[in-house]
Amino acid sequence: MAIALFDVRKWQTTVDLRTGQTVNSDSRQVNMMRSILDRHPYPGDVNLESNQWVTDIALNLVEEYQPGFVFLSYSQLYFSRRFSHLPGEEWQQMVGHVFDEIARFERESGFQALVVGSGEMVPLKGYIDLSQLDGVATASNWSTTYAGVYDPSPADLEYVQSHPHIARVVSQAEFVSHFHNGEDIRPHLPDFLLMAREGYAFKALSASLRPLANLTAWNHSIPVSDNLGEVETITEVRPLIEANFRTRKTALVIVEGIGSADFRRSHQMSKNGLDWHFYEPGEGQFLALTTGRHQLFSFPPGYLYYPEDGDSKEYPFSSYFDQLPEDTVAQAYGGKSIAVGNRSMFMHMTSGANISVECFSRGLYNHGNMAVIGDGA
Amino acid sequence: MQCNLCEWRCELSKGKTGVCRVIAAQDGEIRELYPHRWSTYGLAHIESIPFYHVYPGSQSMVIGTLGCNFDCSYCSNAYVAKEEPALLADRFFHLQPDKLVDIARKIGCHNIVFNVNEPTVSLPTLVELSRAARQAGMPLGCLTNGYMTEEATATMAEIFSFINISLKSITDEFYRHHAGVKGVEPILRNIRSLARTTHLELLTPIIQSVNDGEIDAIADFIASVDPEIPWHVFRLLPEYKMKEVDYPLVEEINARLETARQKLPYIYFHNFVGSLWVNTFCPRCGTTVIERLSLGCGGDRLLNYLCPGEICPSCQNPIRILGQRTEWNSREVG
Repeated sequence: MAIALFDVRKWQTTVDLRTGQTVNSDSRQVNMMRSILDRHPYPGDVNLESNQWVTDIALNLVEEYQPGFVFLSYSQLYFSRRFSHLPGEEWQQMVGHVFDEIARFERESGFQALVVGSGEMVPLKGYIDLSQLDGVATASNWSTTYAGVYDPSPADLEYVQSHPHIARVVSQAEFVSHFHNGEDIRPHLPDFLLMAREGYAFKALSASLRPLANLTAWNHSIPVSDNLGEVETITEVRPLIEANFRTRKTALVIVEGIGSADFRRSHQMSKNGLDWHFYEPGEGQFLALTTGRHQLFSFPPGYLYYPEDGDSKEYPFSSYFDQLPEDTVAQAYGGKSIAVGNRSMFMHMTSGANISVECFSRGLYNHGNMAVIGDGA
Repeated sequence: MQCNLCEWRCELSKGKTGVCRVIAAQDGEIRELYPHRWSTYGLAHIESIPFYHVYPGSQSMVIGTLGCNFDCSYCSNAYVAKEEPALLADRFFHLQPDKLVDIARKIGCHNIVFNVNEPTVSLPTLVELSRAARQAGMPLGCLTNGYMTEEATATMAEIFSFINISLKSITDEFYRHHAGVKGVEPILRNIRSLARTTHLELLTPIIQSVNDGEIDAIADFIASVDPEIPWHVFRLLPEYKMKEVDYPLVEEINARLETARQKLPYIYFHNFVGSLWVNTFCPRCGTTVIERLSLGCGGDRLLNYLCPGEICPSCQNPIRILGQRTEWNSREVG
């Protein structure tokens, strides 16, 4: 049973991650995590100190748990820039801070990091309002480039196909035949997938309430540091890590919100998707990196997740995720592994690490820390 | 011309808006400047809004508009509620009531709940929405700060089937200092009134060392109105002007609730992940009749509904519930 430990500052509780039911656990690893989380309250998604929080917890775990593989995410840059217009100097300081933290982790832990930037951001140019369609259109809180349309009328299709800020309208059949490579397909794929032009964000059911300042650019390629070897596409990151962790202590580090221009390490550009599709920072990109496989059908863009969100859904504290990841780079390592990051849910739901630590934040509201201690920890 | 929507009763001289910045006098009438503008429409478990005693397990369409008549120093939605409405309006959805209800029906929602900003300042639009919702057999609910006039309270009682009033304090001083209004009395008056006509739940956001000392006094007030009113005690995470204030400590607030629990059977302490104080117990025999999960900012949800027919399975005492337990994907509304 995977145990989830929540820390909301001076109060902690443990639950069964799968059922959500409160459980008591007194294992050595759970007690170790109680102490670590108590010492490191989460500073908040847009707080610069949240980068330090990632490094501090990772270093505590390296010392106390002694993992052989480490997965980190630094997401403060992405959260900050998404909702704020940051002056160039302030932005550069923030970027410098993150890379300083990665260097500190490497220096104090002895791990060598393969660093991936999730992609550039561009200023918001405008919104594409889908609320007037006859069918149901869905956007999501975090994805702005893709939207799904269900049961559209002929007038809906005419509208989206002629909209100047919609770059692509793809039928479900076309999407499946073009990208499907054998994985399970979710039951509620949109009838049509829409792709916005760069700088435009869809507004529809469940779109972000918070005003946006910057969006993910059309990142068909993203930077990957070249210190451990060559990769042409992000699915090659996993085998590259595997080739290295037999001979050295290796860490995979994702820095969200930056592309080549701000990447402060020698790097190569790596393909970030398939054909016309590219990953936004999100679960698909994380899973492609950690599993080495494209997973467009695990969490398809424009996907309507809420019919599956009833009372019987498993992993209730993991939002729309309903299963733990399989066959990840952490699991392939075989020894002890950890994941630490300020990206809620993704650390425990995409890494497959023995111990995962993340902030428990939703929509930038900071409720505290979460650790997941897996079966084999 | 004097506005009669909220207790500010703003004098709306020509070209001037009320405190809320969204109501003005036009052609001799009180009018909204931005009718049918919606900041959002999304989906939520009704428990996450929070309504714990209304259609348990149901799927709610949550909506909001723009503008507010309070100036809460800890506002969680300041980017909508405190922004200049004229700057926001163009970015908002423009949906007629029929269209909004149609969307709710198509996506399988069982009810519609207003919960982003203050409904009083959009009351004319909400009256129209209630007509469309009623035609579709879809109940309408809201969260409100309760600072409306008696006339507006009567209107709310007509259009909303269930209301959650945020009773932030029992003192004028708190309301003056932290909400920017004159005092608490209109809110207490409206709670007494709505408790007689409408399904009512109350919510108190706790800011440690600011209003946690009022817990017993608030509980006494609720007990004097109706002890079975469900009361949500929220661990507030202050935002806006109070972003730097320390978060309330769970153990300390929980200890302060002990006396209140002797007076009120339906007290819930939540808005933090993993809360152990979100279940409902039978007021007579103490049997657990509803189990919930507290997901913190991810919202709460139903886990087990153990009182079919809204009756305690152990002692047959009625449990106060508006409507029935509703399966998440059921297509039945209302």
